[in-house]
Amino acid sequence: MKSVLSSEWVKLRSLASTYHTIGTAALMLVLGVLWTFYVSSLADERGSLRAAAPEQGFLPLLQMSLAVLGVLAITSEYATGVIHTSLITVPKRGRLLLAKAGIVGIATFLAASLILLVTYGASRLIAGGRRLGFNEASFADDLPMLLSSGLSATALALVGLGLGAAIRSTAGAIVSVVALLFVLPGVVNYLPPPWNTRLATILLPNLVPQIVEQRLSSRLGDGLLPPWAALGVLLIYPIIALIIGLIALERKDA
Amino acid sequence: MSVLSSEWLKIRSVRSTYLILGLGVSTILLGLVLATSAAGAYDAAPPEQQAAARIADLEEALIIMPQLCMGILGVLVVTSDYATGLIRTSLTLVPRRWPVVAAKSAVVGALALLVGALAVFGTHLTARSVLGGRFSGAYATAFADRLPLLVALTLTVPVFALLGTGLGALLRSAAGATSVIVGFVYVIPIIVGNIPEPWSERLGSLMISALPRQITGDHITTSVYGSLLPPPAAAAVMLAYAAAPLVSATWLVRRRDV
Amino acid sequence: MKLGAHVNPGFDLEVRTLVRRAGGPPPRILYRVIELQHLTKRYGGTLAVDDLSFRVEPGHVTGFLGPNGAGKSTTMRLILGLDAPTSGQALVNGRRYTSLRMPMREVGALLDAGAVHGGRSAYNHLLSLARTNGIGSARVVEVLEEVGLAGVARKRVGGFSLGMKQRLGIAAALLGDPGILMFDEPVNGLDPDGVRWIRGLMRSLAAEGRTILLSSHLMSEMALTAERIVIVGRGRLIAEATVAELTARYPSLEDAYMALTSDSVQYGAAR
Repeated sequence: MKSVLSSEWVKLRSLASTYHTIGTAALMLVLGVLWTFYVSSLADERGSLRAAAPEQGFLPLLQMSLAVLGVLAITSEYATGVIHTSLITVPKRGRLLLAKAGIVGIATFLAASLILLVTYGASRLIAGGRRLGFNEASFADDLPMLLSSGLSATALALVGLGLGAAIRSTAGAIVSVVALLFVLPGVVNYLPPPWNTRLATILLPNLVPQIVEQRLSSRLGDGLLPPWAALGVLLIYPIIALIIGLIALERKDA
Repeated sequence: MSVLSSEWLKIRSVRSTYLILGLGVSTILLGLVLATSAAGAYDAAPPEQQAAARIADLEEALIIMPQLCMGILGVLVVTSDYATGLIRTSLTLVPRRWPVVAAKSAVVGALALLVGALAVFGTHLTARSVLGGRFSGAYATAFADRLPLLVALTLTVPVFALLGTGLGALLRSAAGATSVIVGFVYVIPIIVGNIPEPWSERLGSLMISALPRQITGDHITTSVYGSLLPPPAAAAVMLAYAAAPLVSATWLVRRRDV
Repeated sequence: MKLGAHVNPGFDLEVRTLVRRAGGPPPRILYRVIELQHLTKRYGGTLAVDDLSFRVEPGHVTGFLGPNGAGKSTTMRLILGLDAPTSGQALVNGRRYTSLRMPMREVGALLDAGAVHGGRSAYNHLLSLARTNGIGSARVVEVLEEVGLAGVARKRVGGFSLGMKQRLGIAAALLGDPGILMFDEPVNGLDPDGVRWIRGLMRSLAAEGRTILLSSHLMSEMALTAERIVIVGRGRLIAEATVAELTARYPSLEDAYMALTSDSVQYGAAR
């Protein structure tokens, strides 16, 4: 297993797309800094205001970029035909997918956490003593939110990997991730209560707020899950996607 | 013309095309589900709540589905040629090159117009018949009054398809172009919605989803987008979304090594 | 040729793959053998491989011939576990390929030289393959030198010519220093120098006691390289013979091939 992991690490670090996707995710820092400068200048005029925290407002960018990384980790092998060579060198397909999941999981969690922490730190430094709404809690209070945000990006990357293995098409897998992250939550919003909140409570983008006990939105109100259950659901998404990918990988001819 | 029929043949001989078209049109089913559940909730509510009850324009809420699907189809008609190496054959057969991009755009654009119309009008008429006289607002007004907005909504679908085609030709990567499309539909609007005024409204007015209502002058107060543009300007912005990537892609495809 | 220095003596393998069937035939040594037993693969309505049985043994190059669409590549994919057979089985060293723990050390294969990620360097491509089977980077450098790609090891594979990609594919097959090697059309796109190089490589690999299964459409080249020939058509076995036997009965290997496959050509001009 260690040897397969090390091979997957070589694959991941030798591709330009890895750096493109992580670079896109890191735009969060640039946008977060601009954002904080901007709201700081507003605060200087108006005194105080309630602005969204950059690491939360730009989270979809981070999640989506790293999900694409996860998708590409497998679909690029199908697109180029490298998957054949991979399966010849590692005929146990479950082991191949597991190693990919391990490497993608570690890489995205580290990248996401680093980007989130740096964005968090930079924005709080720029904000200084101004009252911007998002910079009033202590770092210890915000840490669970930062960690669960990082975890959600990793979960999405692994969902992308699992769906990529099942669908084998880059565009198809990205669209599936988009469906989970954006389309379903959008549609569920339009259901009449109480079903909108009931369904929204288990949807991917609503799990991080529930882990840190924040409300979902003004329309949906509070989620229905306690933090530990929301964390559990967040972990179940990648597990299900990877199982689907594994079944497809084992069943179908390469 | 021959280039056009060749591109048409290429797109209709691939299985994923039908999957994408089907997914785009299946919006009607989602509309049916939402309208039925809304009607149920309405009937269960006491009369004083019924009078105040409102329902969102479902075809507008769901337009992101056909937009996304046809945007992806636009991406794929170009990038699949690059991925398989077929583009070399295509460009060898048509050395002037621009007709290849034009033919792809025409085929995808026409399909997108069809899918957009089916999805928008299908969803609207389905919701109208399911809801009957329930809810004041969109489905209680005359169909003819809604027609301009429905047409404008429909047109955003081919805009996405052409945007996808242009981005696909610019980036030559399915992953890259798909990500940008997704960014346009979802990520950027969320970010724009989060920034403070006046920029939220200014930038929000430029989002593709904000354009139909600005073109028809059909403003609503609950919109998350802005409504600062007069109709001609909104129409021009919409055109630019489709044309700018395509024009630059055509220019680049002519100059770039394959 | 420096390969000889790395040949795995394979004694451990020999013991491990000694197949003993209770009450059955006496134990056989299945070291360095590809064995197909009634191998059948159906894709929808078409039989790509139809009840194919033959053995490929060590010490010489076995040529694998047949018209386009005869099922040669499918057979190789089935041997390598990429596709699952509809019935029958393909064994390497007496075992199913997918059950091998370190497959690269037992079997090396070149199927499609174009199947590389254009953005990766030759070195990283090979390293990622080598790592899966616990093969070190020193061996990667070694095979790159053996196939003559040492000078472009850090270049993106996307810029390689077809011939260079063939050499890269051969390097990948050689990484684990395996006793069994399979090559699907390795000569495609190579220059005369490369063709001669492949010929010498195949022969010396076989002379080292390896099992070589080589598919090609170039009959003259095959006559120079292979000792035994397996011919398939429409998924079925047509002939299994030595080159000497075939050229004794026919004017040349090409004539033998033409005569034997005349009924099996699916995609060809009228002749």
